[in-house]
Amino acid sequence: MISVNPTKSTTDKLDLENLSPEQTALSIKNLDLFYGEDQALYDVSMHVPKNRVTAFIGPSGCGKSTLLRCINRMNDLVEICKVQGDIELHGKNIYDKDVDVAALRRRIGMVFQRPNPFPKSIYENVVYGLRLQGVKDRRVLDEAVETSLRGAALWDEVKDRLNASAFSLSGGQQQRLVIARSIAIEPEILLLDEPTSALDPISTLTIEELITDLKKKFTVVIVTHNMQQAARVSDQTAFLYMGKLIEYADTDTLFTTPSEKQTEDYITGRYG
Amino acid sequence: MASQSAEQLSANRMRLVKDHAARYGVTAGGIMVLVALLLIFFYLLYVVQPIFESVDLKKVNSFELPEQSNVEAVGMEEQAEIGYRFLSDGELQFFSLIDKDERKAGDILLTETIKTGAEITSFGSSLPVNSQYVYGFSDGSAVVVQPKFLVSFPETAATAKTDRVERVITPRVEYKNQGEPLTVDEQQRPLQRLAYETDGDGMLFAAVVEQNKLLVTHYVAEENFMTGEVSLTPKYTEIPLNSAIDDIVVTPDLRQVLARRGNRVHVFDVSINGEVSERELMPARSRELGNATGMYLLAGASSILLTHDTGKVSQWFEVPGDEGRQYQYIRSFEAGSPVTNIEVEYYRRTFYTLSENGDMNIFHTTAEADLYRGKPSEATIEAVMVDPRANYLLMKTDQGYGIYDVDNEHPEVSWSAIWQEVWYEGYPEPDYTWQSTGGSDDFESKFSLVPISFGTIKAAAYAMLFAVPIGLAAAVYTAYFMSPSVRKFVKPTVEIMEALPTVILGFLAGLWLAPLAEAYLPGFISVIILVPLAVIVTAALWSTLPTRIRNKVSDGRASLLLIPVVLFMGWLSFELSPWVEQILFDGDARRYLTNELGVTFDQRNSLVVGIAMGFAVIPTIFSIAEDAVFSVPKHLSNGSLALGATPWQTLTKVVLLTASPGIFSAVMMGLGRAVGETMIVLMATGNTPIMDWNIFEGMRTLSANIAVEMPESEVGSSHYRILFLAAFVLFIFTFFFNTIAEFVRQRLRDKYSSM
Repeated sequence: MISVNPTKSTTDKLDLENLSPEQTALSIKNLDLFYGEDQALYDVSMHVPKNRVTAFIGPSGCGKSTLLRCINRMNDLVEICKVQGDIELHGKNIYDKDVDVAALRRRIGMVFQRPNPFPKSIYENVVYGLRLQGVKDRRVLDEAVETSLRGAALWDEVKDRLNASAFSLSGGQQQRLVIARSIAIEPEILLLDEPTSALDPISTLTIEELITDLKKKFTVVIVTHNMQQAARVSDQTAFLYMGKLIEYADTDTLFTTPSEKQTEDYITGRYG
Repeated sequence: MASQSAEQLSANRMRLVKDHAARYGVTAGGIMVLVALLLIFFYLLYVVQPIFESVDLKKVNSFELPEQSNVEAVGMEEQAEIGYRFLSDGELQFFSLIDKDERKAGDILLTETIKTGAEITSFGSSLPVNSQYVYGFSDGSAVVVQPKFLVSFPETAATAKTDRVERVITPRVEYKNQGEPLTVDEQQRPLQRLAYETDGDGMLFAAVVEQNKLLVTHYVAEENFMTGEVSLTPKYTEIPLNSAIDDIVVTPDLRQVLARRGNRVHVFDVSINGEVSERELMPARSRELGNATGMYLLAGASSILLTHDTGKVSQWFEVPGDEGRQYQYIRSFEAGSPVTNIEVEYYRRTFYTLSENGDMNIFHTTAEADLYRGKPSEATIEAVMVDPRANYLLMKTDQGYGIYDVDNEHPEVSWSAIWQEVWYEGYPEPDYTWQSTGGSDDFESKFSLVPISFGTIKAAAYAMLFAVPIGLAAAVYTAYFMSPSVRKFVKPTVEIMEALPTVILGFLAGLWLAPLAEAYLPGFISVIILVPLAVIVTAALWSTLPTRIRNKVSDGRASLLLIPVVLFMGWLSFELSPWVEQILFDGDARRYLTNELGVTFDQRNSLVVGIAMGFAVIPTIFSIAEDAVFSVPKHLSNGSLALGATPWQTLTKVVLLTASPGIFSAVMMGLGRAVGETMIVLMATGNTPIMDWNIFEGMRTLSANIAVEMPESEVGSSHYRILFLAAFVLFIFTFFFNTIAEFVRQRLRDKYSSM
């Protein structure tokens, strides 16, 4: 059986069905998603609590990454993708016509499966989001670089070569740089799309420790196909299967006493 | 088990062979490309190389002739088989220059004695082109004589057998005025110096009598209508000068007589009715060049050469100035030791000097080239002369005669003649000029590659000005903003444009676009300015609209809104063109440009070329740049978007940066194409080799120049080789651009390569 990370057992269990507005970072309501004719998500509803780590798990093609991409509307880039239902951020549906997608994404950051630093220096990568917003003050930028890199546990490794190319870093370092880049603009929510799947075990461990740290300041949503990872880092876990949200509960509960048969089959390794 | 694995190994042999074959095949292909390239390079060099070779003199034959009196002049006919010499006692002797049958070099073939009752006092000659010689007598008369050569191919018993008809050259002597002496001095004084020229029938004599008196005698030929007989009417003029006259020269157009008196040259105009008037006094610049010692006329008769006691030879010709055309000092040549005699070639601007120290020099004026210096023979050279084809040199020394083979095919080409400003005869100042052919044989070729290289750059620059913004903008839009379904259709369409034969583009540009641009010039210019402006303004207005309205139109479709805007602005520009022309440009923009602004306007100009060639270059730039932008990894642009960047910010800050190596090579490939493009510039410009950035004037490019002139250039001539040099320069141009492009691309790629 999967063991749950003891370091995070201190977090209180929440009633996920009835979160107060102060506790809620995001509410997904009756979300359907279509790729052309094919439906990829069926009537997904859930609340993502603030300053917690929420994990989406499920077998390949279950729609967990699709759901994550809906949260900051990255699915807009797919032409044939159509979304029905609401995702509410502070009570505002992000799919409303008058929503500025760029502003939305500034508040909901995202880190992808493969490290994707820009072909610029480490420094420029971190301040990229700030520069987009027109920040020019060198001191502000310098400070943001240090804070973000410290926040992403990368500062000590790169502080002497901030002007080196981001490509000179190792894969794990690059991924932490991308996280630093995301947190530099201080989003409310950080979406992590299988952030460690392209990394070696040691880098993975570093990133996992980092995620636990990050939730102090941000709401984190992570997609992973690695159940141990979900168990180690997340506070609550959603299990998706065939585009449907099967079960959403406290990580401890989900992994120890799943209420659904499909969940149990999955976490015990019967399929996936 | 072991046998099975062994079997597997042997079964792979065929695969191995294929693999090797493929590898060697690809390698061979690559090497062949390189070899082909090198072959072109070296072939061009091989054809070009002779123009930079120095003069080579080789002794062919030598012989002796009896020394009976002084030799006044030597010469030979164009096959270099027969030579002749004029002696001071009035004898003209023809002699063989080759050993042929029973004939030996030096055998006298014909002797003609020029005699009147009086004593010979002077000798003169026309320019080699006319090859007429004149003896002056003590009674003031002169006899003009011309050595002629009759070429025949007689059929004899011997030739009938061999089936090969031998060429036979027979010398003959012709006299002017049927051998009757022509009176130069009415007062019958002895002619101390004599100069002579003819323009066919008319004759102009200039003579010196009594040391300082210049006689100008002009024989005007008049044809009798009834009998067709030509009668000669002389007109005599006598001009006393202050001191003894050292040299006299008559120009072959019978318009000028020049008389040198020490360091001064008097120029007399004889062009109006035979009236002689002194036009100018030309100082010989003795202070810097040294005292003048002699005066000669160069082939083409536009330049005179002065020799100086410092060993310098100076060239002078008439230059248009404030007071009409005046002789001006142009350049000088260093012979090393004072020059005693100058012989000029028949047609080219090459001249031979003989110096006091026994050196012979060969110079070319236009090329400012010092072609040869030295002593071709141990003996002292007394006289030299080249044949009309300038292939052989007949040399009279104190030890006899020598025939030399002169290898001097391309004296008019030198580095300075090609790449530097040259002061051509009759030009007001040194200039870069390309004018390879002229009306006459003694035309001074102008082989400056500067104006046509400039034209190449100008054409390419205007084409790029048009093509780069459009090509890159289209590429970025197609790759980055266009929906995949539209892109699938647009990209191949634009790429097919590349296959459009450029001759069609050139044809359309020259015959349709150019007249259109001329007729609607203001409209044409305003389209170029207004359409992009309108597009930007529309886009700006669009972005200020509320999100609610904008979101109704998807990003891919929004651009379609621009089509009516572009069409409307184009229509408006052309509709307003006549009005604008009426109000702003007094009804005729073209005349306004020329008269008010002083801007020359050609119908086939750089604007037309820029658009037409830009059109040809756009597909190249579009295709490569589009690929570059499109191949920027999606995870990079997604990363940027996820950080809250707008698509535009993502494009400018991440996508273009990452695609920059590809975009740069797109531009350079386009430039390479524009530089090498031939048909469009050939058809859409006037092909005038001018050097001016004016957008309303044309140009001539290296490639068009080769295309225009190669068919009419004589194989092996300087012109032919210079065209190959132009091709070589073009090759270097494209080579240079591509090398720079590749170098910069590598640097960019190292810097911005993504994973």
